[in-house]
Amino acid sequence: MPEMTYLRAISDGLRTEMRNDERVLLMGEDIGVYGGAFKVTDGFIEEFGADRVMDTPLAESGIVGTAVGAAVVGLRPVCEMQFADFVSCGFDQIINVAGKMLYRQGLPVNITVRLPSGGGFSGGPFHSQNPEAWFMHSPGLKVVAPSTAEDAKGLIIASIRDPNPVIYMEHKNLYRRVKGEVPEGTYETPFRARVAREGDDLVVITYGAMVHTALEATADLDGASIMVLDLRALVPLDEEAILNAVHHCSKVVVVDEANYTCAAGAQVSALIAERAFEDLDGPILRVASPDVPIPFSPPLEAAVLPSVERVREACRQLLEY
Amino acid sequence: MPQMGVSVAEGTVVEWRKQRGDWVEADETICEISTDKIDTEVPSPASGRLVEVLVQVGVTVDVGTTLARISTDARPGEPHSSENHGPPAPAHAAAAAAPASPATPPSAPDPAQAPAARAAGGRASRRYSPVVQRIADEHGVDLDEVEGSGRDGRVQKKDVMAHVQARGGGGGRAQPVDEPTMHIESPYRPGAGASLGGPYVPPEGRPLSRMRQQIGEHMKRSQDTAATCTTWIEVDVSRVEIARRQLGITALPLIARCTIGALVEYPLLNAWLEGETHTVHEQVNLGIAVALGEDGLIVPVVRGAQDLAPEGLSRRIRDLARRARARQLSPDDVRGATFTITNPGQFGSMMATPVIAQPQVAILDVEAIIKRPVVVTDAFGEDAIATRPMVILGLSWDHRALDGALAARFLANIKKRVESYEA
Repeated sequence: MPEMTYLRAISDGLRTEMRNDERVLLMGEDIGVYGGAFKVTDGFIEEFGADRVMDTPLAESGIVGTAVGAAVVGLRPVCEMQFADFVSCGFDQIINVAGKMLYRQGLPVNITVRLPSGGGFSGGPFHSQNPEAWFMHSPGLKVVAPSTAEDAKGLIIASIRDPNPVIYMEHKNLYRRVKGEVPEGTYETPFRARVAREGDDLVVITYGAMVHTALEATADLDGASIMVLDLRALVPLDEEAILNAVHHCSKVVVVDEANYTCAAGAQVSALIAERAFEDLDGPILRVASPDVPIPFSPPLEAAVLPSVERVREACRQLLEY
Repeated sequence: MPQMGVSVAEGTVVEWRKQRGDWVEADETICEISTDKIDTEVPSPASGRLVEVLVQVGVTVDVGTTLARISTDARPGEPHSSENHGPPAPAHAAAAAAPASPATPPSAPDPAQAPAARAAGGRASRRYSPVVQRIADEHGVDLDEVEGSGRDGRVQKKDVMAHVQARGGGGGRAQPVDEPTMHIESPYRPGAGASLGGPYVPPEGRPLSRMRQQIGEHMKRSQDTAATCTTWIEVDVSRVEIARRQLGITALPLIARCTIGALVEYPLLNAWLEGETHTVHEQVNLGIAVALGEDGLIVPVVRGAQDLAPEGLSRRIRDLARRARARQLSPDDVRGATFTITNPGQFGSMMATPVIAQPQVAILDVEAIIKRPVVVTDAFGEDAIATRPMVILGLSWDHRALDGALAARFLANIKKRVESYEA
């Protein structure tokens, strides 16, 4: 299996599925001639032409709205938001049009919206957010967030094939930092959680970039045996895997890079409190960014985002409880 | 014990998936049962805690018997009724001690009551996490005896687990450990040659499987009940063969479709006879016999079959057969058939005398489609011999409910529909 970066794995998934399926087309700002702000679609316009790799105006509402129409007539558009933060300009089309179309009119909206998200590189408040929870709250959408190169490819293919609108969270800080072996050809990663590391004493439940933070924080923690559960999909949430992990370990730390209030981890915590109360051997601890904008200043940003040290401290505190 | 079919009166518990004290969700499987129609899982009717198992594995009880009790006002984490005979909860101990020092400020305790108050206070300060309480309850552990390794001596899950393990040898409620056998018998067995010339020793008999017993009981009862006669008719299936290739399905759903049409026209065949009660059905619930290899067979039901086109019938039959073989049929899938089709012809057999599934009044047997030379009459009235795919349809019918003339007309109606089939 070839080794590639998380970013190349996304490109590979898109390219594979575009070769497989003529209905797949890409839309976004500067994704064609320029190859995308992060070069995910570099070389695509040469291979697939401007009809299938469409440079659009700076209008997220127009991108998503056009994609919804294309999906209704049978195409499978993939929209790139240049940064996840800009998706708010296309919010109405995603929430009220794409998410409700099947319920209102019985028409499936097979679109994928790619959201380059997350911080860690001094991008500041408009280029560092993790807005996945906005979409979890709104019925009719699926939300996935790969953490590895292999899953990045498998989840983009599965998202394109899923008949529902799928919000695909790709973490910018993993783009070139994370590498891994990626199977060739086409495969789908299921929308189910993955045990990133087995363990017995405590489980860290997280997704996306924080999977790597959690693995590093708990690789050697006073000899404790710590499980790391990578959710992979936030909607549908793999409740069975979460409850099994809690049943096995009885102590839980939930980590989000997103802001604390109503983050994906809040839903995970609520699920555990409701359904796994009898398995708990201590309070559910959460580590997340405080409810503030992400700062430009590197030392301030480092203080805001959940660090290896903060995750380690939460685990230690709970292990001793 | 849920009702698993019209004629089913009892069922046997095969396995409990949930034990006393377990939390169950509504529709989660609580146990597995076996009846003379079907082996199936019983979904929990409500969410709650399983507080009592009333029917043990292997016991057969009548339909309607309560299998277990679920406490629906329980909450996950709440102690369940079996905890009543455990040590009193700390809150009770504190409450019992309280009246001993009414309105007395803590700074001036009655010396005589001090030890009791201290003891009560000591226990009240020990709070246990939900998982620790659950494990303690499951293993009958008095948590006062457990050393805590957590913050301020808090008892953690690992502490109570270690306590349970350490106590394992000391008896109490612990399970006895199986002793490994000291002598293991040699697996070597002399081959057949060694017994040459010896007397023939027949292999040991085994009890018939449950499914075989049930099928046997049902078939024998039918033969003892119905006045079974069988009538055959030979049918040219050329048009059905063309249609099935166009649709990419087997001939069975097409012949079934013709049979359903005939049933609607002759509703007396789409009927039940129970004692002296004769029920004629408007809706066709078509039973299709599905072989389960050597184990036996089961007859899932296509409900409302009169409303289905051949493709729909094909899809439903395929789905039911797949689930039957995966042992995933629900009770509703096997009850309420008003007429049954059995189709063993895939192995090349030509004729059979099927046994009627009670309380239905007839069953249609579809045998192998075989090419045969037949006499056909052309447009000019000239007879010629042609090769045609032919099938023999056999109808077993209950002479108590109808007579041979009706059976023959019914078969002729199916024949007419099959031979004039328009895709």
